Amino acid sequence: MTMKTKIKAQVIPPDAYPQMVTKAQAAGITRVLRSNVTAVTASRVIEESGDSLREAVRAYVGELEGAGLDFELLSEKAHEIRGFAETAGMMATGRIADGLCRYFDDACQAGVRPDNAVVALHVSAIGRTARDTNALSQMNDVVARELALLAGRKLAESRRKTS
Amino acid sequence: MSGSALEHLKVLIVEDNQHMRSLLRSLLNSAGIRDIIEANNGTTALTALREKKCDLVLSDLAMKPMDGLTFSHAVRTAENSPNPFIPIIMITGHTEKHQVEAARDAGVTEFLVKPITASSLFSRIAEIVERPRAFVRCEQYFGPDRRRRTIESYAGPWRRHDDFQDLQVQ
Repeated sequence: MTMKTKIKAQVIPPDAYPQMVTKAQAAGITRVLRSNVTAVTASRVIEESGDSLREAVRAYVGELEGAGLDFELLSEKAHEIRGFAETAGMMATGRIADGLCRYFDDACQAGVRPDNAVVALHVSAIGRTARDTNALSQMNDVVARELALLAGRKLAESRRKTS
Repeated sequence: MSGSALEHLKVLIVEDNQHMRSLLRSLLNSAGIRDIIEANNGTTALTALREKKCDLVLSDLAMKPMDGLTFSHAVRTAENSPNPFIPIIMITGHTEKHQVEAARDAGVTEFLVKPITASSLFSRIAEIVERPRAFVRCEQYFGPDRRRRTIESYAGPWRRHDDFQDLQVQ
């Protein structure tokens, strides 16, 4: 015989467990966190961290370029670059790394192997934009767009072949 | 009470990249948070949490040997967890749906996508302080309530109250 028993979730309301601050303190904290003064100070902090962050991005780019055809490692490094580059002011590098991350994610979801040439072109473009931050941004936009189109086309081809 | 309460908060940063740790520390400093502990992966972070009472955790997702998901799960469910209710903000460059869902199911309080900005970080902290969430304990989950809002037009089953488990009775 099969019987059904009710499993209920226990809900613990916020006032039933220790909070990080009191309600009165919370108002003051949110005021500070949302103030213009804090925003300006924090923006300055990010600007001042630019050199250090760019150094971090370039280190990741070196690792990306040294990853060969190890797609797992390439994907890991591309995600790190995507996470850092824009904060470091390297917009083009971030955009192309984002394209590579999406390509890896889409290929993984579709169950197809990433195309070597598509990956190599992204890696090369990421390296170039990371080293030459003065490169024409218009050119970088074109490169990012073309790479995205190429990745989309190759992915569609792979899907057709496997279906 | 002023925002000086920020000075009394102790924040644990769990991040394997030294540059990102440094940036997060500087951003927190700029808001007046001075008491900051750093750990470079989940294992050292758990040790730090046991040794020092923290109020908030900022954690990366991809780290070795212990990643942010395993760390968050351990904080929420380990028998010797020093504070299973501590707010955890997961900061990551991984934005795929399955990663976000995994973070949610590990008991993460807020999810912050890199590249981070000061306003995105501060708004997550403000959200936690301003609107602390209820916690839910059930057979397969312990952590902040994953239901952020009630959808008026929701017509599906109310699983939380009506979940059933098949039970064999002889």
